[in-house]
Amino acid sequence: MSGTGLDPISLEIAWNGLKSITDECFLTLMRSAFSTNVKERHDHSTAIADAKGRLIVQAEQSLPIHLASMGGLIRHIVERYGDSVAPGDMFIANDPHVAGGTHLPDINTAMPVFKEDRLIGFVANIVHHADVGGAAVGSMSGGMNEIYKEGLRIPIVRLYRKGVLQDDILRLLLLNMRLPDERRGDLNAQIAACKLGVTRLGHMLERFGADYVTQAFDEIVERTRMRMRSAIAGLPDGTYAFEDVMDDDGISTEDIRIKLEIRKRGDAITFDFTGTDPQVPGNFNLTMNGTQSAVCYSLKALLDPDVPNNHGVIESIVIVAPEGSIVNCVSPASVALRLNTCQRLVDVILGAFSEVLPERVIGAANGANTSAVFAGIDPRTAQQYVYLETLGGGMGARMTRDGKDGVQVHITNTSNLPVEAIEMEYPLRVEEYALVEDSGGAGTHRGGLGIRRTIRPIDHECEFNGVGERFRHAPWGILGGRPGMPGRFYLRDDQGREHTLPAKASGIRITPETAAVIETPGAGGYGEPKSRPVQLVEEDRSSGKFSEEYIRDAYGPAIA
Amino acid sequence: MSWIVGVDVGGTFTDFCARHVASGRTVVHKRPSTPDDPSTAILQGFAELHEIAGFAGEDVERFAHGTTVATNALLQRKGGELAVVTTRGFRDMLEIGRQIRPKIYDLQEDAPPPLAARHRRIEVGERIGADGNSVVDLNDQEIESLLDRIDVLEGIDCCAVCLLFSFLNPEHELRIAEALRRRRPELFISLSSQVQPEFREFERFSTTAINAFLQPQVSNYMTHLKTQIAEAAPNAAFGIFQSSGGLMSVDRAAEFPVRTALSGPAAGAVGAIVSAAKSGIKDIITLDIGGTSTDVCLIQDGRAALANVRDIAGFRIRLPMIDIHTVGAGGGSIAHLAADGLLKVGPISAGAVPGPACYGRGGTEPTVSDANMLLGRLPESLVGGGMTLDRDKAVNAVAPLANNLGLSPEETAFGILSIAASNMVRAIRVVSVERGHDPRDFTLMPFGGAGGLHVADIARELGMTRILVPRSPGILCAEGLIVSDLQENLVGSCRVKLGADLTEVETILADLRTRADAWFDQEAVDEGERRLRLVLDMRYVGQNHELQVETSGETCAPDLPDVDKLKRLFFETHERAYGHHDPDAPIEIVNLRLRATAKLVHGESATPPPAETPRPVSRHNVWFDRSGPIDTPVYDRATLPVGFDLQGPAIVTQIDATTVVPPWARLTVDEACNIIMEIRH
Repeated sequence: MSGTGLDPISLEIAWNGLKSITDECFLTLMRSAFSTNVKERHDHSTAIADAKGRLIVQAEQSLPIHLASMGGLIRHIVERYGDSVAPGDMFIANDPHVAGGTHLPDINTAMPVFKEDRLIGFVANIVHHADVGGAAVGSMSGGMNEIYKEGLRIPIVRLYRKGVLQDDILRLLLLNMRLPDERRGDLNAQIAACKLGVTRLGHMLERFGADYVTQAFDEIVERTRMRMRSAIAGLPDGTYAFEDVMDDDGISTEDIRIKLEIRKRGDAITFDFTGTDPQVPGNFNLTMNGTQSAVCYSLKALLDPDVPNNHGVIESIVIVAPEGSIVNCVSPASVALRLNTCQRLVDVILGAFSEVLPERVIGAANGANTSAVFAGIDPRTAQQYVYLETLGGGMGARMTRDGKDGVQVHITNTSNLPVEAIEMEYPLRVEEYALVEDSGGAGTHRGGLGIRRTIRPIDHECEFNGVGERFRHAPWGILGGRPGMPGRFYLRDDQGREHTLPAKASGIRITPETAAVIETPGAGGYGEPKSRPVQLVEEDRSSGKFSEEYIRDAYGPAIA
Repeated sequence: MSWIVGVDVGGTFTDFCARHVASGRTVVHKRPSTPDDPSTAILQGFAELHEIAGFAGEDVERFAHGTTVATNALLQRKGGELAVVTTRGFRDMLEIGRQIRPKIYDLQEDAPPPLAARHRRIEVGERIGADGNSVVDLNDQEIESLLDRIDVLEGIDCCAVCLLFSFLNPEHELRIAEALRRRRPELFISLSSQVQPEFREFERFSTTAINAFLQPQVSNYMTHLKTQIAEAAPNAAFGIFQSSGGLMSVDRAAEFPVRTALSGPAAGAVGAIVSAAKSGIKDIITLDIGGTSTDVCLIQDGRAALANVRDIAGFRIRLPMIDIHTVGAGGGSIAHLAADGLLKVGPISAGAVPGPACYGRGGTEPTVSDANMLLGRLPESLVGGGMTLDRDKAVNAVAPLANNLGLSPEETAFGILSIAASNMVRAIRVVSVERGHDPRDFTLMPFGGAGGLHVADIARELGMTRILVPRSPGILCAEGLIVSDLQENLVGSCRVKLGADLTEVETILADLRTRADAWFDQEAVDEGERRLRLVLDMRYVGQNHELQVETSGETCAPDLPDVDKLKRLFFETHERAYGHHDPDAPIEIVNLRLRATAKLVHGESATPPPAETPRPVSRHNVWFDRSGPIDTPVYDRATLPVGFDLQGPAIVTQIDATTVVPPWARLTVDEACNIIMEIRH
């Protein structure tokens, strides 16, 4: 192993110390933030980067999508501000096109750390703010065809200059956001977490010296890169291709193609998205940083789930993504719902690896970030309410076991809201929360089932908005496995009649005589159905997860 | 002549602590556990204790028991054959849970499958609404059809009834239970409205399902043990320790076994509080280092924080329990080189079998204990003489690792200890720094066999200056049992905005007090020994997470404070937890929690301290830092008198624990016979 002088013991201890700093910043941010999004959904991340802008350590609970975004911000700071960065500065940014972000609600902050006059690195954090202005509450609605409609764009600016708050900047930001008090509270929490990180890293610099700490930075990245490279080297050389098609962008584009060719030689690997469709008017576009997040997630999950999240992972891969495509969009592309595209990228990457990593890959998962919003006036209080939920679905089948039913997959892992919490809070009744029968694709191991949630307004009319993907293009199976069932939104009246809604449903009126039904996609199977062990088919039947017709069709009359 | 006996059953040892109430004389004992039938070791050890302490079974007035029967049944998934009855449309609730997966980057790891297979989760047509009124009535045909569907399930012996909003209106659950008891009297039945009547259905259903799953086995064990104890100690009240830190009657434990699922480490926290109090210390962080894991717990002003949710083996339990943080680092943790060439310690452990190499039971991998052995920190023969350790085997185990690293065996061993300590430092930071406490304001208290080996290094790393090593660190859990009170935790749910009419809250409080009185009566608690503590779960309207607001200390009759006081208390709690509060935002009360405690007689430990002049039992070379070994005296703890004062280096050994006193620490023995170590920074 190459080394710069730190032994494997001191480095492990220094690394532990750096992890403690990011974890403490993470919890400080969570404790002092105002919004539910941070306090309860933990939609935030913290990290330390070096003076070159390379990400060194991130908090244990940081999210995959935030990783590239924080790195992106700091690289932009280094490029743009270089020598003018001074102690006490604090930078803030959110723009995907000029400041390394992935969508506008994710606001990044970063503060430099100095030892005497020497810039050692940056402490950074990112928070998903509940609103950053724009045309619709929450800054996450579908149907926006340019980024200007999605919210306030913040290039990299100094919120603090040499320790002094730039009040004019702060007022400009807050004036453009709904719920400015909550925004101020969350921003203050980000500021507090940055300052804490700077203090803690300062203590470490006092104790160990600048050379030691920067050596540790180099070594952490280098060792992670080598760990990743050796995992990549273990793959057979070759070219692996895959493609998939997304349903639509909610405005005008249907059947959006994602095309990937992976080229692997020795310990080098290239992900080439040439041939992928151009960016779309609807807000499903990914910036390069978002694409990078999806690739890093996939590679880590496939090759080495325990590999630390730092620049060493990013450095191990090359991404080719045509400028102006949906996986490397340019201004003024709208991006709010990028997570759906990210999820699909992961499916495509896993699909490409299915022949060479059969023991690691899984069938296509629900491939979406299905969201449902119910809004109206509560008849009991005459107050407006908005209830938002993102739902999991099927997870793809694996070589040795079925895909998990009803769960968040890949890039996201947010929890649901309890039925009892929903009904106490909103004038809604949840009539069913269940797995969707027959929605998992058959196979030697079957795909996971989607989730059905049925909701009815009580004593009033409400509005429903939903964003679904894989509502037309089913989650495919691999190595002979069959596809899972697509998702759908529909209304069901009291006579049991069903009325199907579009995958990007907006402004749908629902009366108390009607229930809205959300069914998320299942997932694809793994391996030939005929090889499915009899006792697993028996479980499919006895559990009631699959119908007799399905079992007969998938596994043949003999077994049925 | 009356005695109190505490028995803590662990995986390896069954520990005993007995105290004579009048004189305070305290006797401890330890013997190997008998995992197949834990009662064998309990009864044998109890008989041995008679000999050691010189009392008869009739002399015992209380027998307090800490058990891992429930925990093990859950970990090994060996409980009852479970059926679940639930509201129509929701049988998948237990399977979907909170729709999250355990590890974000791991495509292969899932949450465990539910304790009841899907065909054993039966839906029934009924529905209570969010206001507690019935939306769909439960009719008799539905009940009949339900019973028929349960009858065709083969082999079930327990049943959980989990209906939506039953915490507001338990009527449907009660009717189903009644019908079930009539038709299937042999079934163990758990109702979600009784196990934990709080909102959030998944957590309530999961806790109830776990309770039902544990009932057949735990109930059987309790009944069996109760009969045996009734013979061995005919005058003794029999108490079972629960995770919230108090005792309950054996019948209640049989009814609510889930309450014992985390009771092991909780008893240690109670023992720590009492031990430290004797030295006048109230703010402590405990450090219990075992073979495979380390438990830490922060105690402020003599009280341990309570947590409300915890996962065991991937199963969610929502119940009040002492807030203990566990990391997978202990004496048996194995040191190895990871894929990136760094030295890692744990999480894989050599466990009890084969154990560390130096135990000579066939282990060959280098562990933390082997590193301690190699550096001279563990004596070759423990004072009790129970076990001889083999230094050569430790050297052999560490040698290959040392070769790979290009370091000497001692340097490698020192590296192993440093990394193990840094893992434990992270655990302590989690319960202190990350929750807004400065560890330097606390005394670090090691217990378990290995706590004392690492405590000085850890304290120095965290800037802590004082360490307290209790008199019997290896038996603190059993000691905690004899000083525990009888306890019952009651909860009532509501949804009331502060400022609105508080009548509903008053009604719920009155109901809780009635239930507490009924419990006191049932346990035959004297009026003078009854204590109540009222805590309200409050939050800002729109928040999804409650804060526990304590309204008073322990009293005999807690009242609801007025709105202004409630607001003030909530603001203070919010400020402490989150660093800010909003004086204008609307606040609501979500739950009322009433903790009923029956004060029991504990006596005061008064075992006389030794009066000998301590002399080192041996001397040998010990490494305290990388500069090389130092000739170090080894003392037998039992010979250290009160007032004894010693500048490190030294090693202090006792039956089941070893304490390392580095050159930069000073040790004194205080009036309570606790060792106080001051760390020089």
